[in-house]
Parts: sequence; C-alpha cells; structure tokens
Amino acid sequence: MPDLRTFIIALSLITVSAVLGYALITYGLAPVANQDLVKLSRVYLGTVFNKSSVLWGASPEVVTSIIWDYRGLDTVYETTVFFVAVISALTLFRNVKITPSNTGRGVGMTVIVKTVSKIVFIAIPAVAVSITVHGHLTPGGGFQGGSTFSVASLLMISVFSLNLVVARGWSKEKLLSIRTLGLLSVGFVAFSTPLIASLLGLKGYLMQNLEKPWAPVGWPAEVSLASASSILVSGTLIVLNIAEFVAVSAGLSLIFITLSLPTNVLEEGGGVAR
Amino acid sequence: MKEFLWMYFYAVLFLTMLVAIYGIAVKPNMLKKIIMLSILSDAANVLAVVMGYRANASSPPVYPGYTFEVVDYPSKDAIVSFVNSAVDPIPQVLVVTAIVIGLAVLVFLSSILILIYRKYRTLDVRRLSSLIKEGGEWIE
Repeated sequence: MPDLRTFIIALSLITVSAVLGYALITYGLAPVANQDLVKLSRVYLGTVFNKSSVLWGASPEVVTSIIWDYRGLDTVYETTVFFVAVISALTLFRNVKITPSNTGRGVGMTVIVKTVSKIVFIAIPAVAVSITVHGHLTPGGGFQGGSTFSVASLLMISVFSLNLVVARGWSKEKLLSIRTLGLLSVGFVAFSTPLIASLLGLKGYLMQNLEKPWAPVGWPAEVSLASASSILVSGTLIVLNIAEFVAVSAGLSLIFITLSLPTNVLEEGGGVAR
Repeated sequence: MKEFLWMYFYAVLFLTMLVAIYGIAVKPNMLKKIIMLSILSDAANVLAVVMGYRANASSPPVYPGYTFEVVDYPSKDAIVSFVNSAVDPIPQVLVVTAIVIGLAVLVFLSSILILIYRKYRTLDVRRLSSLIKEGGEWIE
C-alpha cells in the first residue's frame, strides 16, 4: 500500500512534466512535426552524394559521412573520450594479473547452451564485420560493428567460462595492443592528407576525405580492381570504420574480461592504493 | 489534436527523465543510481530523436539501393526528391556520439563500483559514509 509521501512525489513529478510539455508546445520552444529541415540538414543531405558539389562525401549513407567526414574532428575527440574511459577503468585494476591459473575452474554452462552458442559464435562476428565494412553504404559503422563483436566475447565468457577465454590467449597485453593499433590507424588516416600535401607543397586539411579543388590531395572515392567495375570505398570512411571496429571490439572485450574477474582474484591483486 | 499528441510525447519523456533524476537523488544503492543514470541518458537521446521527427518524411537518411559496385551517381532530380523525403540526419549523428560517451561513462562507473564493493562489502551510500567516518573499515 503506497503511503501519502510516495503519492505526493509521484503526483508532483507528473505535474511538473505535464507543465513542461504544455509550456514547450504553447510557447513554441520545441518543434511540432516539422515539414521542413534546417538549412544545415538540407546541405548535408543534398551534397553528400552529389558529384558536382564541392562538398561531396562520396557516400550514400549520410550519417556516416557526417560522423567521419563533415564532423570528423568531433568523432576523433569522441574516440579519445572512449579511449580515456577504458584506460582509466583498466588503471583501477592495474595490479590484477589475469592468468589461466587464477580465473576459476572453467566449467561453463550445460552442453545444450554450449552447442547452440557454437553456432551463434560464427554468426555474430560475421554480422559485426558486415556492419563495419558496409558502414558507408548502409546504416552502421565501426562503433556499431565493434559493439556487436564484443557481444560475442561477452557470450563466450558467460557460456564457456572466463578461464577458457584467457587460456585461449586473450591476454590483457594482446587486446591492448590490438586496440592501440586501431587508434593509431585512425591517427594515421587523420594526419596522412596534410602530411603528404605539405611534402608536395600543396594545401591539405586534417581529417580531409576526398580531394577538393583548392586542396588536391585526398583519398580515392572509388578503387578499381582487376575486374572491369570499380568499387565504392568513399575515401577515408571505410578505412576509419575498420580502424574504429578494431579499437572498439578489442577495448570492449578487454573491459568485459576485466569486469568478469572473480572476486578472489581482485582481492589478491589489490586495486586501489591502501 | 496534433499539438496535444506532441505535448503528450514531450511530457512522457520529461516524466521519464524526472523519475530518473529522482532515483539518482533518493535511492541509496549506488548500482541503482547508475541504472537510473543510464535511463536518464537514454531518455535524453529519445528526446533528441523526437525533435528530429519530420512530418511526411518516408525514408531514412540513406540513398537507397547502392552497393559496393558503382553504377552511376544519383541525378539532380533524385537528389532533390531524396532531400524532400529524408528525415533529419543531425539528431541521429548527435545520438550516436552521445551513446558512445554514455557507454564510456558507464564502463568507468561500473569498474569503480566493483572496487568499492570489494573494499567495503556494501554499495549503500549511508553505510559507506558511516564506514568512512569511522576511519575506514578495510575488509581484507
């Protein structure tokens, strides 16, 4: 039976939100089913796949284009925030040794769950790589693919036990190196254009995607292989998506392994300073 | 009628956010505080997506039907009709960024939580504050 205090709190929350919603609509502070877009959205939508435009991004996927091309620096900072968060979470567990001998007995779940999971483990990485590689063509991208891949490692930990995952060689150092490799690739792509342009004595921008009339160094929009037709790679977008996939999948797998360590391992290793 | 429906949308979203803020302030368990924090950030993301709603728009912001193989780029008319029918991409971009930042914060907070529980064997802030006032009861 809810008492009077709970009732008053619930009533006041409902009243405040109703008043806020009413005020937003009545005084025109919030949009009500816009028919038209703001000018910036029209520019993004109209120029991104328009080859005659100077601003074109060579990608039919507008969101990925904005993330890695139009607002590329913003995404680099976002990746930096994610990197710093994972590094600080690992710093809290810096004295903990992750070895096959101290990660439990490794029994896992029943045979039924294991058999079903073996089938799923083939599907999840395939879907993750598909999301990543098609990131410039269909909704998705590096971060989405990387999170999908890390679900596979989380499932492996809970179904086959942490001990098996660690014994198969998913060590802290290895995953951290893979993650750093992905981040270094992002940095390499970001600095490649201004570096080559300055060597050639031309103008170039940080995170520049395709060539511009005033900055003629850029990544190719299409790559022609041995066959007759060429392949749409959208400049830096596919490279950055794959690099982000590598970084995010390794980083999240490492975090899941660290968070699922048994309590006695954490107590042996010590974490925070005494 | 349309105004009332939108008022209802915004009011429900604000109610979700207020309940989350109430939970962060009142619940003594730190795990529940973190769950409420993730509900708050999700409600904020839904608010951004609702604000990007476009009436009579029928397609996501993706030019339809393109694969790796380049056939030809869309014509001027195709681009104009796409701009007139696609939803606003900017809120979607903001939400993708916000989800990543929210995940980073969540990861960091949960590792701090594990360490706090390991040291004090409790996540109740009232018990934690009394333990710290007593000079820190370390459980080894």
